[in-house]
Amino acid sequence: MVCWAAMTEQTFEGRLFGPGLPGAGAEAVGSWDGQGRLRVVVEVTPRTELLAENPAIAAAGFNAASLRITWDGDAGAYAFVIEKDAALTACGVSAPSGIAGRILSARGARGRLERRFRFGGVLLALFLALPLILIGVFLLNSDRVADWAVKRIPHEQEARLGDLVLAQTRLRMKILDSGPAVDAVSAIGSKLTTGSLHRYRWFVADRPDVNAFAAPGGVVVVFSGLIRSAGSAEELAGVLAHEVAHAELRHSLRGMVKSLGLRALVSLLTGDASGGVFADAATRLTELRFSREAEREADDEGLRRLVKAHIDPNGMLRFYRKLASEGRPSPPPLLSTHPATGERLERLRREVAGLKQKWVPLPIDLTSLK
Amino acid sequence: MAMDVVDYEIFGSEMQYVEVELDPGEAAVGEAGVMMYMQSGIQMDTVFGDGSQQQGGFMGKLMGAGKRLLTGESLFTTVFHNESSGKRRVAFAAPYPGKIIPVHLSDIGGTLICQKDSFLCAAKGVSLGIAFQKKLGVGLFGGEGFIMQKLEGDGMAFVHAGGTLKELVLAPGESLRVDTGCVVAFQPSVDFDIQFVGKIKSAIFGGEGLFFATLTGPGKVWLQSLPLSRLANRIILSAPAAGGRSADQGSLLGAGVLGGLLGGND
Repeated sequence: MVCWAAMTEQTFEGRLFGPGLPGAGAEAVGSWDGQGRLRVVVEVTPRTELLAENPAIAAAGFNAASLRITWDGDAGAYAFVIEKDAALTACGVSAPSGIAGRILSARGARGRLERRFRFGGVLLALFLALPLILIGVFLLNSDRVADWAVKRIPHEQEARLGDLVLAQTRLRMKILDSGPAVDAVSAIGSKLTTGSLHRYRWFVADRPDVNAFAAPGGVVVVFSGLIRSAGSAEELAGVLAHEVAHAELRHSLRGMVKSLGLRALVSLLTGDASGGVFADAATRLTELRFSREAEREADDEGLRRLVKAHIDPNGMLRFYRKLASEGRPSPPPLLSTHPATGERLERLRREVAGLKQKWVPLPIDLTSLK
Repeated sequence: MAMDVVDYEIFGSEMQYVEVELDPGEAAVGEAGVMMYMQSGIQMDTVFGDGSQQQGGFMGKLMGAGKRLLTGESLFTTVFHNESSGKRRVAFAAPYPGKIIPVHLSDIGGTLICQKDSFLCAAKGVSLGIAFQKKLGVGLFGGEGFIMQKLEGDGMAFVHAGGTLKELVLAPGESLRVDTGCVVAFQPSVDFDIQFVGKIKSAIFGGEGLFFATLTGPGKVWLQSLPLSRLANRIILSAPAAGGRSADQGSLLGAGVLGGLLGGND
């Protein structure tokens, strides 16, 4: 009985609104009595004391953060609003059992509001982060996506892309379509590409750089600087085999699909559909750099093709070594786009050393071209 | 936390400014850029963040500043401190046509929720915080957005809004439907919610939008008759540069005459 009395003594602060009170409410102290009635005392003069019979309880106010206890008095409707957390707890704890349940459910409304707000916030954050997530997923799976897409591109389309790249290249440098150098290159190249699905076309660019590149669809461009620095037809064949391997493995196409996909995704997400994506894709193709893995694949495939054509792979090895040991301040473009030269050389050397085959010398004399 | 008691006087009718009298040692905080004039002896000090008290170290200040950025106020507040031995005055001007409402925070229980951007100045010690509107529907359609401003303390605060301001007292359970955007401030005991206008026809053609804001008592609310954005819309609509009609001012030979003839009398 003593304990019960102590509990009912517990008071809680709030604001009382009602007839005869200031519009903004007056500070008041509330307490529950044993019969589930709320006693509210306004301490400021004139001291008022109200006893609320059968009060209604609801979560109310800004963000439903406060508890509103309303009842009809003699003069009109009254409301006692509890805002402070400590007072809310005291009110809940000291309430008689029937009313405590209603207070709990009213405070539950506030919890639901909080949860929904947080859920909305998370949704908003996800929505804002969506572009980044999409790009991240694409980057993580770009290899698989590229493989999937490349398989669906027919060889005729690829050849058309190659034409586009060739046309772009013609604008930037002088390309020879015929002549002894082109004949020599295509003679060696055709040995390496027997049975290919691509229709190979061979070109020589009149440039002093030691470089060569393979565009999609079997367009192979060799720089005249490369022919000049090649010691023998076998050395040239080694480089050609490497480039043919790139074309056969569709490396440049894959690279293009990847970068196109990313750019398309970015423009989709940023809403920039000005068409710039496709316009300079062909330009980018000419300056594509392959990954280290693609280079290794191309080396292996190139070597396999040399062996199949009975061309001495030591030429390839010699030429790579020559390029690597020339000791220029910056490595020639052919190697600079091809990372980890030393490692690749070592790999090739081991592979070539393991081969015990008879090689047929190429009947082409490069010295006449120089 | 002792609040500074501030005497004030509001001047003007539609474009108002408030003159605050500071006793020796008293201070007021103003939104950056609203100070109109101050008498000699008042020291102006720009503080990073809230300006309510010099507490909390660097991180606390940063948090306060971040809050102000969210509510659309500037990062810095200015504190006006009376360093002299006599009473001195400093005035703060409202930035657009409207009324200034003085609110004595201790009269309303210490907290006022108001529209972001509406704070003008206050006695030093009033803290400016943000109050997130956590009812998603109200945040989206209530016209005040998700971020509101919370003024806490027991001193004077001055809030400013557009057009004519109306202070209303809502009795317990009394409810009022308000056009969205017209709510300036309310006591935290007031329920702020939204209500669909009722009929599809009214929603589409009624011009009041899809929702009303509803305010349910008990407590005090303050409403504005002309939200700044509405005024700005009208000005832009009638600006000649934006294709609006020019109402005949300008010279006889200017575009005004022709515009006036063709545009009719409006």
